[in-house]
Amino acid sequence: MMSPALVHKNSLRRSDRLLGVALVTPAIILLLALVAYPLGRIFYDSFFALRLTDQAPGLFIGVENFLYAFEDRDVRSAFWVTLALTIITVPGALVIGLLLALAGNIHFRWRWPIRLALLLPWVLPMSFTGMIFAWFFNSDYGVVNDLLRRLGYEPVAFLLSPGWAFFSVAFAVTWKTSSFVALILLPGLQTIPQSLYDAAGLEGASRWQQFRHITLPLLMPAIVVALIFRTLSAVQTFDIPYAMTQGGPGQSTQTLAMLVNTVSMEYLDIGYGSSLAVLLFLMSLIISLPYLAHLRRSV
Amino acid sequence: MSAQKITSHLSKITSHLSSSSALNLSSHLASRLLLWLILAVVLINGLFPVLWIFFTSLKTEVELAVTPITWLPEQASFANYQQAFSEQPLLLFLGNSVAIALLSALLALVISIGAAYAFARLALPKAGWLLVGLIALAMCPPATLQVPLFEMMRALGLLNTWLALILPNAVLSLPVCILVLVAFFKSLPESLEQAAMLDGCSRLGALWRIVLPLSLPGVITAGTLAFVNAWDEFLFALVLNAAPENRTLPVGILFYQGEYTFPWPLISAALIVGILPLVVLIALSQQRLVGNLTAGGMKG
Repeated sequence: MMSPALVHKNSLRRSDRLLGVALVTPAIILLLALVAYPLGRIFYDSFFALRLTDQAPGLFIGVENFLYAFEDRDVRSAFWVTLALTIITVPGALVIGLLLALAGNIHFRWRWPIRLALLLPWVLPMSFTGMIFAWFFNSDYGVVNDLLRRLGYEPVAFLLSPGWAFFSVAFAVTWKTSSFVALILLPGLQTIPQSLYDAAGLEGASRWQQFRHITLPLLMPAIVVALIFRTLSAVQTFDIPYAMTQGGPGQSTQTLAMLVNTVSMEYLDIGYGSSLAVLLFLMSLIISLPYLAHLRRSV
Repeated sequence: MSAQKITSHLSKITSHLSSSSALNLSSHLASRLLLWLILAVVLINGLFPVLWIFFTSLKTEVELAVTPITWLPEQASFANYQQAFSEQPLLLFLGNSVAIALLSALLALVISIGAAYAFARLALPKAGWLLVGLIALAMCPPATLQVPLFEMMRALGLLNTWLALILPNAVLSLPVCILVLVAFFKSLPESLEQAAMLDGCSRLGALWRIVLPLSLPGVITAGTLAFVNAWDEFLFALVLNAAPENRTLPVGILFYQGEYTFPWPLISAALIVGILPLVVLIALSQQRLVGNLTAGGMKG
């Protein structure tokens, strides 16, 4: 016989469990409906010839779309643009973000101007950022060319030549995302106890040695989180080049996410677009796996 | 500004400073100068691009066509703002953006408060896997979802409505909100709720009367994150809505461009109109945001 108190406790726990399931269900349903189902849908559609402009779309063609994707010059170009943007802007944003965080951690009397300077790029919509920097890098009236002229250099047609257009987009992405990195790292910096630096200072460690052997190791967990999210968003880059260059000139700034949009929404080739979306999804999944594994362990 | 530029500037300045301290300038002054320099670099980096757009928005079309360009407007005028509001329904775009972002944040909050409480306090079966699964789903690139979502919204008759944007906005913000709120709920002592429940409060009552008021900073942080995500959202607003009366700011601003014309003064004015609410948001919540972002900063 269980004691009445124990029975009561068990039934309470069961009602807790039921309530828990009830509370978490709306989130599960919405994510299943609006993310899991669409993902299943692109995997399914990627095996069909589904060009809406064709007479009778819907023929099953197996992995034909994927085979074609590996040959497609547009895909290859978009892949390299995405990869190059990732390789350049992720370390770039990490280094500048770290510098910004270090600066933000200095005790000035007025903290709100610093906070505003760190938060404003972060809250600025990506599409706004693209437009702002399109104006910045404008050939005739842009402030960058004005600075170049004042320094005695020839102005550059930044957004009109493929290499410079890519540079400009990479610059805008780095600027926009470095404040995100800074905001992730700043609280990490603030939790490092001052006593560690004091002790190291007494031992005669230089500023650089303190940074190298105290700040960097203790900041590593936050750096890893920032690295993963930054990489993920780099792979998904869409808004900034779309608003800044529309992917041009030519295809020099067209990312994979933009190509998925062009193929699906402009060429109306749903089957092929879905296969490209699958490739994009797999890329971002591979990047997010380490974070998910880390999260699984920490729950 | 690039990292190399900053570091080379810094090294130039520090070498300059150390040589001047050789000229018997106190090292205290040198380190003060360095501090001010760092402050200036951070401020210029964060504020100059937006400030530049603000200057542009005050200039006339005539002044903008002059080279070499002027930095500060010669005759500052708000005429561009007037024209930006009359040329496109900017007020409507603004209203749509505010309403959609607020409703998205509200929906995300309502759903994630319940879910986060379940993860933090109520023994969910397979809680770890469930949370990881939810977050894995929300990390998927929005570009991969656009076609199925378009078809789904069309089938549901939601295409070109606010709801077509609110639903995906809210859903993609759920995991961030859940992560932030779980961290806050877990930091509260469980004894508070137990005391309330001994006094006859139900679980939900305790959540509403005890837990939520105490974790208000977390709720505000989560809500702000969801709001900013929705305010920023561009791809879905582009693909899932073709109705001019439901256009949000990020998409609406594209419509100032003609096929070959970029009326930069108007675009700049419209951009500043879209940035002002964000500055207000920062002013209201900056202290909280800087500290609490880590738990859920998924965007960027």
